[in-house]
Amino acid sequence: MEKLARWLALFKKELRQISRNKRLIVMLIVPPTINIVLFGFALNPTVTDLRLGVFDQDATKSSRELIDALTSSGAFAVAGGYLSENEISNDIGSGELDAALIIPPDFSRNRQMGRTADIQILVDAVDSNTAAIAASYASRIINEYNQDLVLSAPRRPGSANQLIPSGAGKSLDRIKPNVALLYNPGLKNSWFIVTGLIGALLVLQGSIVAAASMVVEKEVGTIEQLLMTPAEAGEIITAKIAPIFVLLTADIALSLTVARLVFGVPVRGSLALFFVSGSLCVLSGIGIGTLIATFVSSQQQAQLMGFFVNPPLVLLSGATTPIEAMPGWLQPFTNLNPIRHFAAVSRGILLKGTGLDVLYPNFLALACFCVVLVGLSAWQFRRQLR
Amino acid sequence: MRRILAQARKELRQVSRDRLTLTLALILPLLLLALNGSAISLTVENLPIVVQDLDSSDVSRRLIDAFRSSLTFQIVELAPGTSPETPLLENKARAALIIPPGFADDLNRGKIAETQILVDASDANTANVLRGSSTAVIRRFGASLLKAEPKLPIKPNIRFWFNPGLDSQLYIVPSMLAVGLALFPPLLAALAMSREGEQKTILQVYVSSISAGEYLLGKIVAYFVIAFAEWVLCLILAYFLFGIGLRGDPSALFVCTVLYLLTNVCFGAMVGAAIPNQAAAIQAVQIVGFLLSYLLSGAIFPISNIPQGIRWLSNIIPARYYIEVVRDSMVRGSGWSGLWLAPFAISAIGCFFFLVAWLKMRRMQLEA
Repeated sequence: MEKLARWLALFKKELRQISRNKRLIVMLIVPPTINIVLFGFALNPTVTDLRLGVFDQDATKSSRELIDALTSSGAFAVAGGYLSENEISNDIGSGELDAALIIPPDFSRNRQMGRTADIQILVDAVDSNTAAIAASYASRIINEYNQDLVLSAPRRPGSANQLIPSGAGKSLDRIKPNVALLYNPGLKNSWFIVTGLIGALLVLQGSIVAAASMVVEKEVGTIEQLLMTPAEAGEIITAKIAPIFVLLTADIALSLTVARLVFGVPVRGSLALFFVSGSLCVLSGIGIGTLIATFVSSQQQAQLMGFFVNPPLVLLSGATTPIEAMPGWLQPFTNLNPIRHFAAVSRGILLKGTGLDVLYPNFLALACFCVVLVGLSAWQFRRQLR
Repeated sequence: MRRILAQARKELRQVSRDRLTLTLALILPLLLLALNGSAISLTVENLPIVVQDLDSSDVSRRLIDAFRSSLTFQIVELAPGTSPETPLLENKARAALIIPPGFADDLNRGKIAETQILVDASDANTANVLRGSSTAVIRRFGASLLKAEPKLPIKPNIRFWFNPGLDSQLYIVPSMLAVGLALFPPLLAALAMSREGEQKTILQVYVSSISAGEYLLGKIVAYFVIAFAEWVLCLILAYFLFGIGLRGDPSALFVCTVLYLLTNVCFGAMVGAAIPNQAAAIQAVQIVGFLLSYLLSGAIFPISNIPQGIRWLSNIIPARYYIEVVRDSMVRGSGWSGLWLAPFAISAIGCFFFLVAWLKMRRMQLEA
């Protein structure tokens, strides 16, 4: 009972200290909001309006139809007509064009004779991701265009169409792939980024705030005063952590609200479960922060240490890029990252509507991190006090 | 001039005594580059896919083999009795291929055979890749079933320029070089400036004979020297770790690097002069310098993908111009022709930062 009263007194002291700190309150609201909005909008792989240079040596109705087919999808926009291959390659080289279409002079003649007409598409592949998507768009568009041409062509003996089996409705494709995009049919990348980023923000905020509030006592020297009180090291630490934890759980609500209002991220599963996993995430962040604080002696050092710890934590979490794209030897290590597990939980709950029956391994992992990190920092803290 | 150099030398000596900061200053950019270069990639391979083969015919097994031999996919067993959507929900597979009963019969009768592919689209970019490659595998397999290749009316020959292997590191490493240099040099400069304000050592400067402009220039020169060392180290790392060296005429890269580093140091000095509190100054550099350079400079996805409303912001971010320069010198190698705008844009932004920093310094002098 006496212990509890002591702890509550410490807790109240921390709470008062924090609520006086206006900058901390601002820090809890502004950076997460800015981060979610900026990341959600800026990290967008949707390929539209690629600048396409056209060198049409044929200049007939059928070549223009082909150009129309390519641009009507919205993926490509004609940036200009060219009169030589040289000019086009110069403009790709200087970055003025993203892609080029070269139609040879015999294009329409080959088409009329029923021969295959070759065209050339050059893609600036410096940005490999965009280039790969652009190429797959281009071949899909031309494939569909071919389909239309075959279906609308009059059947003539000896023409190309005869090779297509008659029963197949003259279609070029023998097998039809019906692709269904589940959970995010609009292919909104912001849903992927935002659901991953919430965990990263919770961990980062937790670690920064916790480290700062621990180091302040060290820096100003008030830690000695705290130690002279009858409170034990464990009590001091938990009383310090508790108000930060309460404040940061508000960030879970804040970031989810921003994600919903700005990007329309759905909530298909249990909201309560989301908050529980979010608090586990905050707690692991606080654990990381207090652990950092035990190693440093000043604010500046704490922040520089943060630079060492935080970027790898965020980058190697699959929060903003797929884990499958990381080098193979690195992938197993992402299992040691709380942000990775929270990303799986938040995508599961928000996008897929799954529950604890599927997500329990990630929950267990998050709980483990909390226990280990908070325990380790309390232990370190007590050791240093001796 | 002598006073500027003396100030720069004093600053460098101060930094070199602070071992921790110096080590961090030289190692952190390398760490960030190494980490970003290997971790940020969008080229996905071996994506797990489950197959539900309800036809179990010779043809359907050959279709599965076609998926197996593709680099993009990796076939994962579907436990008997489970629905193909379950592994997607459990994050055990990214897609499911369903071959309906009667698949082989349809093909034999010359009808169009159907297949279904369920894609976990929660990661939109990977879903797009999955959709593209799975339809390509099926289309190619369908064409291989025909006795003779069908004559296509139009055949596209697609060529990838500058990066035929579609290696995403060629895109990411130059960007991360620029982003790292947008973070650490201004961070150090901001720390140094705000420390003088915080500890009031700035008063000592005012009583000495050095003017505000000279003092500021001295600091900028000192941190430029450190930034340049960081740049050289990063280039060496890019060459040895990622095998990405310089291509073509390096003069554009050299000129723009000098301007870019000066601009970033000026930005740090400006923040430091405006905010006489080290912790707050770090926050400001991190949010403005790093976040904007990372997100709005075309470092990961092209600028044209950013929505119109915030796209204009990218024009005032120096990293946006510098990334183009680095990319050109490391990948395309086409020299000055596409880059003439970059040095002017970078220096204009740099001059603005310097001017504001100088005005702030003067104001501080009056207030002190």
